[in-house]
Amino acid sequence: MSGRRTGQVLLMLAGLIAWAVQFTIIYAVTSTLCGREWADATIIGVGSVHAVVLLTTIAALGVAALSLLQSRRVHGRLGETAAAPDRFISQAGMLISGLSLVVILWQGIPAFILPACA
Amino acid sequence: MNAPERSEAFDEREPALPNPLPRPAGEFEALKKAWEAPRGLSFITAVNNTYVGLWYVGTAFLFFILAGILSLIMRVQLAAPESDFVGHDLYNQLFTMHGTVMMFLFAVPAVEAASVYLLPNMQAARDLPFPRLSAYAFWAYFVGGLVFFCTIFFGLAPNGGWFMYPPLTGSKYSPADNADWWLLGIGFIEISAIAGAIEIIVGVMKTRAVGMSLDRMPVYSWAMLVFAVMIVIGFPAIILGTLLLEMERAFDWPFFIAERGGDPLLWQHLFWFFGHPEVYIIFLPATGMVSMIVPAMAQTPLVGYRLVVLALVATGFLSFGLWVHHMFATGLPKMSLSFFSAASTAVAVPSGIQVFAWIATIASGRMKLTTPSLFIIGFLFIFTLGGLTGVMVAMAPFDWQAHDSYFVVAHLHYVLIGGMVFPLFAAFYYWVPVASQYALSERVGRWVFGLMFVGVNVTFLPMHVTGLIGMPRRVYTYPVGMGWDALNLVSTIGAFMIAAGVALFIVDFARRFRIARDENAGNVWNAGTLEWLPNANYNTRSIPVVASRDPLWDQPNLSKDVQDGRYYLPGTATGGRETLVTSPFDAQPQYILQVPGPGWQPLLAAVFTAAFFLLLTVKMVLLSATCGVLAVACVIWWLWDTDPGPVRPPADIGGGIVVPVYATGSMNHSWWAMIVLMVVTGMVFTCLIFSYLFLWLVNPAAWPPQGTALPDGISPFVSGALYIVSAVLIAYASRMLRGEDRRSPRSVPVLIAVALLLVGGAAAADLRAQWQTGLSPSVHAYGAAVYGIVSLQIFFVLTTLIMGLYTIARWLAGRLDSVRRTTFDNMMLFWFYTVGQGLVGLALVHGFPRLTGGV
Repeated sequence: MSGRRTGQVLLMLAGLIAWAVQFTIIYAVTSTLCGREWADATIIGVGSVHAVVLLTTIAALGVAALSLLQSRRVHGRLGETAAAPDRFISQAGMLISGLSLVVILWQGIPAFILPACA
Repeated sequence: MNAPERSEAFDEREPALPNPLPRPAGEFEALKKAWEAPRGLSFITAVNNTYVGLWYVGTAFLFFILAGILSLIMRVQLAAPESDFVGHDLYNQLFTMHGTVMMFLFAVPAVEAASVYLLPNMQAARDLPFPRLSAYAFWAYFVGGLVFFCTIFFGLAPNGGWFMYPPLTGSKYSPADNADWWLLGIGFIEISAIAGAIEIIVGVMKTRAVGMSLDRMPVYSWAMLVFAVMIVIGFPAIILGTLLLEMERAFDWPFFIAERGGDPLLWQHLFWFFGHPEVYIIFLPATGMVSMIVPAMAQTPLVGYRLVVLALVATGFLSFGLWVHHMFATGLPKMSLSFFSAASTAVAVPSGIQVFAWIATIASGRMKLTTPSLFIIGFLFIFTLGGLTGVMVAMAPFDWQAHDSYFVVAHLHYVLIGGMVFPLFAAFYYWVPVASQYALSERVGRWVFGLMFVGVNVTFLPMHVTGLIGMPRRVYTYPVGMGWDALNLVSTIGAFMIAAGVALFIVDFARRFRIARDENAGNVWNAGTLEWLPNANYNTRSIPVVASRDPLWDQPNLSKDVQDGRYYLPGTATGGRETLVTSPFDAQPQYILQVPGPGWQPLLAAVFTAAFFLLLTVKMVLLSATCGVLAVACVIWWLWDTDPGPVRPPADIGGGIVVPVYATGSMNHSWWAMIVLMVVTGMVFTCLIFSYLFLWLVNPAAWPPQGTALPDGISPFVSGALYIVSAVLIAYASRMLRGEDRRSPRSVPVLIAVALLLVGGAAAADLRAQWQTGLSPSVHAYGAAVYGIVSLQIFFVLTTLIMGLYTIARWLAGRLDSVRRTTFDNMMLFWFYTVGQGLVGLALVHGFPRLTGGV
């Protein structure tokens, strides 16, 4: 598979990959901080667990939003004459990024409701 | 035949036919001869997907019946309170085997088996790219599965529940061999499933009809691609879990024993990291089937193709974020639970998208109420109910109430029977005309559906109530007066209704199913996809160019032109079996893959693999080891004929397209398989790293435990340097083989031999360094985790050793040169992986305790 194709697939999946990374980080960090009783530490006045969830969620949302914009840009550039798989992948990229934005936001919501290590 | 309205991706340009008529004399006969199945006793060595696929589906269905009979025995026991039909010990074995056999021996193999049969037909490939691997996967499963099942007749069947939680399944509470049967018995099933997954990934990506670009791929192919990737990511967790638990049981390495630094929850994490995606691993292929059947029944293209593909891919991802929802009652922090709760509800979105796409398709066409349609409607109803209770148990507070009660039993059966069994029966009714001379009876089919649909609801709907009023799952009996009597009796009656439906299906199947040798029942549903082309052992006479997602609807003469040999590769270019490899995105012809034919090798390798695991269970170590060696020998014997090289110049497949009959590097199909295998091994290793870190987390101030010395700081660098130099030597040998170096490639085997010594030395040096500190694997989980990582690395180094020696042997036999070098390339990939894993392992085992300073 050529480098261009690999790039297309990665862009198509970027939103979901961002969710997977967000999920792994927030779960691993919460477990570690709470398991080791390190959760009392604060970052700019915010508890470490909440800060990590917040920052990770914002970063993941950023990646998903960028992949949505980029997929749209690519799709807009392709035009009607482009190869069908290219159009398909860019459209799938837009859909996947859009869904990912919702999922990533949903994933971060517990941090706004619950205390860190209850 | 009326063609339905054209699908949206239809390309108006009618493709020109690449091959003229009349076809040369003898061309068709040569093709038929190449694909002929062996006769007599050797028939069992057949590897064609059309045979192996059917045996595979048949065996999976056999296990469905066997596990179903176990459930009937359980239902008889529970029909009345204080029944003594079976005792508690047998009951424990019954529910464990019912769950295990249904999940591992029926559900996953059944959907894999169906795809072995269907995928090449649907994609107009002549066979899957590795037919011998399919045969190996089937036979290992067939032999091993049957022996495993027979343990129930000797009171030896596993009895710890299908998820085998320690400490109950540890040697302290389960000293007999029952648990070992599960751990080792399931081992080869996992190998078989992974072999199948590799086959499917490469098959979907590389062997499609010309022009069947990603956007024209059948939804079933998409579903199977996502399915196979999920197996590759998810199954390694259970492989590692079973390995660790068996090491604990056999050698007393305390991974899960809390008093010695282990943690039973580690098992739950590993099991459910596999176990939850497993549900979707079963469900997605079924949705793929539904997405093929609904358009045919409604005679209109699937609505929302892109959204359905999105849903499949999204489900593939999200399903890996759900595993802890099986562990809501284990006392994990609420924030952690909520992450999984969120993901568990989010995954309902892609499932919902698919359901709406099917409903929209049904609404936009004219759905005929055939038996497959009925099963689809039954699926939508039952699965949706299961999905709704799924959203309920995704909420931790509700789950705490319903946990381990019959409510959960009801939920999981609604999901699994609705989500997988009903689509599978729809698929039987729908696709039997491809494989058989006659379709199944529509009249009987309605009865089968009626009995099963009513039976499932009569059995499982009351169980929601039984659970909510307090009946726990897995109890072998209950006292009078709990209010559970009538509900249980109703459930038992329902179970026998399902059984009657299945029995009726078997009778009809026996009456109507006759393997189609020359002519099948034909396109009885007027479906639009390629599996309905005329087919035989060689699949399609010529490999078509497709211009849409429903080519039979949009290209009216396709069947005849394909059958006349007017499309690509109408004969055999090399005189043997072959299929056309196409590019993964655009499906343009790349090269002709010389497909291996029948042989005893995969069958014998499979039998010895199964024997290796099964004999190990009963502690016949010497005989087991002998079988292991024989299995490896058979695999080597099997591989010896592969990597055939360019046996002839590039061939004209029609339309002026000339393609080579051999390819190397990243275009080669086995290179892809090797990459997928490395993902599998990488996941096993990742899960091991997770286990190490998890055990660190649960052992505050004891990592390593007090009094444990770390190896000196030099030894990891020595091992690491040896690994790196070995990899550099192999890379250099690769250049030499390619002729990019001034020196003659004659030194290639010498370089491999030296590199083997180095890589072996690296692993040995690390083992020695750990051993010299006096660290024991059986005192504390720290030692067990360290030796776990070291042992896995030794296993990989030994495998590299076998591959290296095999590569040298091929060189000496004149089967390896600058062009015919796939064997070398595959070995090199594995080598680099082994070195990478070794370096990460060294960094973790030596660096991490120093980094954390015992905290």
